[in-house]
Amino acid sequence: MDTPTLLAHLQTHDTPLTLPRGGTLRWDDADLHRAAHAAGPEHYALLALAPGALPWQRARVLLQTLAASQAGLDGATRDTLARLARVLTLALPPAHVITALLALRRLRANHKHTTRTVLRFVLEHPDADALIAARRAALLDCFEHALGKTAARGCARRIDGGDTGSDYLRRRLLRFLAAPAAAPARVKALYTPAAAGAGADGAVAGAARALPGEPALTLDTARTRPPTVTATNRGDIAAALVHLYRGGPAEDLYAALGRYVDDAARAFPRFAGTVALVLDASASMRGYGEREWAVLSQAAALRMLLSRICDRLEVVEVGGDERAPRGATDLAAGVLDALAAGPDLVAVVSDGYENRFPGDLARVTATLPRAGVTTPVVFCHALFTAADDLALRRPAPSLPQRGFWHQDDFTDLLPWMFAHSPAGRPWLRTALHARLDALDRQADDLTTALAA
Amino acid sequence: MTEMTALDTLVPGPLSLAGHRLGTPQQAGALTMVPISGPGRPGFVPPRTGLKLSRVTGYGRLELRNGAADGVAIVPLHIGYVQDAAQNHALCRSAFLAPGQTLLFEDACCVQQSQGGYLAGRDQWFFVLPAELRARALQLRGVHGYAKLWGDIAELNRRCGLPGRGHLEQILSRKRPVLTQFQSRLEPQPGQVGALFLVAGAFAGLEICPDPRYFAEMWPALACFAYGVAAWRAEPAPAPAAPYDAATLAELRGALDRDRAARLAGIAAALAASPLREAADVQEEERYLDLRLSTVTGPHLAGQVVTDGGRAVYASLFAR
Repeated sequence: MDTPTLLAHLQTHDTPLTLPRGGTLRWDDADLHRAAHAAGPEHYALLALAPGALPWQRARVLLQTLAASQAGLDGATRDTLARLARVLTLALPPAHVITALLALRRLRANHKHTTRTVLRFVLEHPDADALIAARRAALLDCFEHALGKTAARGCARRIDGGDTGSDYLRRRLLRFLAAPAAAPARVKALYTPAAAGAGADGAVAGAARALPGEPALTLDTARTRPPTVTATNRGDIAAALVHLYRGGPAEDLYAALGRYVDDAARAFPRFAGTVALVLDASASMRGYGEREWAVLSQAAALRMLLSRICDRLEVVEVGGDERAPRGATDLAAGVLDALAAGPDLVAVVSDGYENRFPGDLARVTATLPRAGVTTPVVFCHALFTAADDLALRRPAPSLPQRGFWHQDDFTDLLPWMFAHSPAGRPWLRTALHARLDALDRQADDLTTALAA
Repeated sequence: MTEMTALDTLVPGPLSLAGHRLGTPQQAGALTMVPISGPGRPGFVPPRTGLKLSRVTGYGRLELRNGAADGVAIVPLHIGYVQDAAQNHALCRSAFLAPGQTLLFEDACCVQQSQGGYLAGRDQWFFVLPAELRARALQLRGVHGYAKLWGDIAELNRRCGLPGRGHLEQILSRKRPVLTQFQSRLEPQPGQVGALFLVAGAFAGLEICPDPRYFAEMWPALACFAYGVAAWRAEPAPAPAAPYDAATLAELRGALDRDRAARLAGIAAALAASPLREAADVQEEERYLDLRLSTVTGPHLAGQVVTDGGRAVYASLFAR
């Protein structure tokens, strides 16, 4: 399966995994996940960290990664998968993780990497006490599946007898953990029925506790959106450009603009290839009234960001130019001109109002395969807000397309764009590895706090 | 039809269009717009910034003022004003207003059957009557009676699938989100002074303004309301994209060029067959210095034109 298709699936297929009592696991897209994992376990697993992947899809990646054998994988890949599994157990809602771990039991899947991940979730999660209080039976099932029932109960008996570091305990349990000191109390709690005792945190157990809903790690930062969108509250780069276009003080604005673009570019790795940008600079991109310059400024911000990230950026302006947008929109000829540059990826950035002639972009891009062109073409929809009505603004519905209106949207847009190009695969890998590293450091901090 | 075609070679009608040229057509759904460039005529007050609705003195009686210190105002044909909580009115004819002059139109028509109140000179936006109503409105110029267009408006509403009332606001306001997109779906060229409009491939109207600023101020009202309503009603369903027969990029470019040339030829043929080429009666109605305002009536064409020494300064001609 190609990366864009898988990525789109992870970002759109929003059905839960379910475990009916006494029934089999309900996993509607299991074949897709198994095939994607088989094609490349590391690439597949890293895509779970792509911005916008849905929680239940991330839970599936966790399940597939833990269920599959790692035989034949090199040490670096195993390390990546282990770190990714740990991050997902901390970054997903705990209920999702518990479902995935219980599914492992139904699938009778167990490996050393499975054991490690399950034990660290059950015994080292920052909210482990609350989780055990709320879902003791389920977590006990997970614990006994991870260690094997005999070994698990053997460990529990020894802990109950005061053992904190015997050879048996170390070999069977403690060697899988990063903060073993916290484990004995939680194992005791797992084997203490709720009605008869107290939780590991010392609280008296009574009625079922509420399961903590919030993940310990944040994968996708919730964005705060202004209640009213204006031309200048759509990110720093676009705001500076709007003031420049309006004739603001050029020296100050250019200096700030350079800083803003540098800051934004630092968040992305370099793309070792060529992107051809078909930039719609027609009259409609300028807009009018209170929205004047809003859409064009964000398109220009994307162009400036790509110019910092890409080894080579070819820009084909359609209509007028960024500073003087005017005239009609001929996207079809723009794409043909862009392809002449031999790029790895063509990105059309437009508000979608194609008028010379409507339908030409769709016909031209539909012809590309039979003309021997394999270069991917994507459509980046320049919007005023996410709520724009696009019914009359889809000039080539069969092209991959994604909208953007705020600078924050580039976080999602760029991985989506580069995912369409074979040359973008290393970029995506680097970007997602950087994300994993950052999340892994946060996870380490949580473990350190636990050990302390 | 080339990139730029002299207008008077295509449209040898009743007025001289020498110096006006056609640009490359644009399409949005069923609406085709052929830009017209030409000689800018200084000294005319644009309609939005210069011409103001001063008041409505009674139903069907609307007063306009040319507030500019200099420059004559040509009142756009079939201009109408919309304002919340007041009855919308439209004019049936064009007129001249000298600088500082106020003019009462006693033959205006109310276009909002069930709304009380009079328009006052604040918070206004203007439109141009939809093409479907223009021939009738022109016919009713000089006729007093504020309700004179309600029957035609009701019929247009019915054709739009709306309740059959003499209430143009049903289209202008309720359908405004889709109609106003024509302002962006079609994009005026720098220096544009006019446009030819075709709806579903057939001639719908010719609009010529004195200068680019005047046209720019008319553009939303023309694209969205005068011709946008008919185009919205004829909006084609999205069709699947049929690939060209091309095995290389060069062949693809050639196929696209040929296809576009064929479509341009089709538009040129539609214009050549338009009623603009038919003989028409031209009746002078008003004068201001050397300017002449005339009504054009042909078998399939109507409208008004302003000429200066026989040269067109302003024209609003539409199919009937």
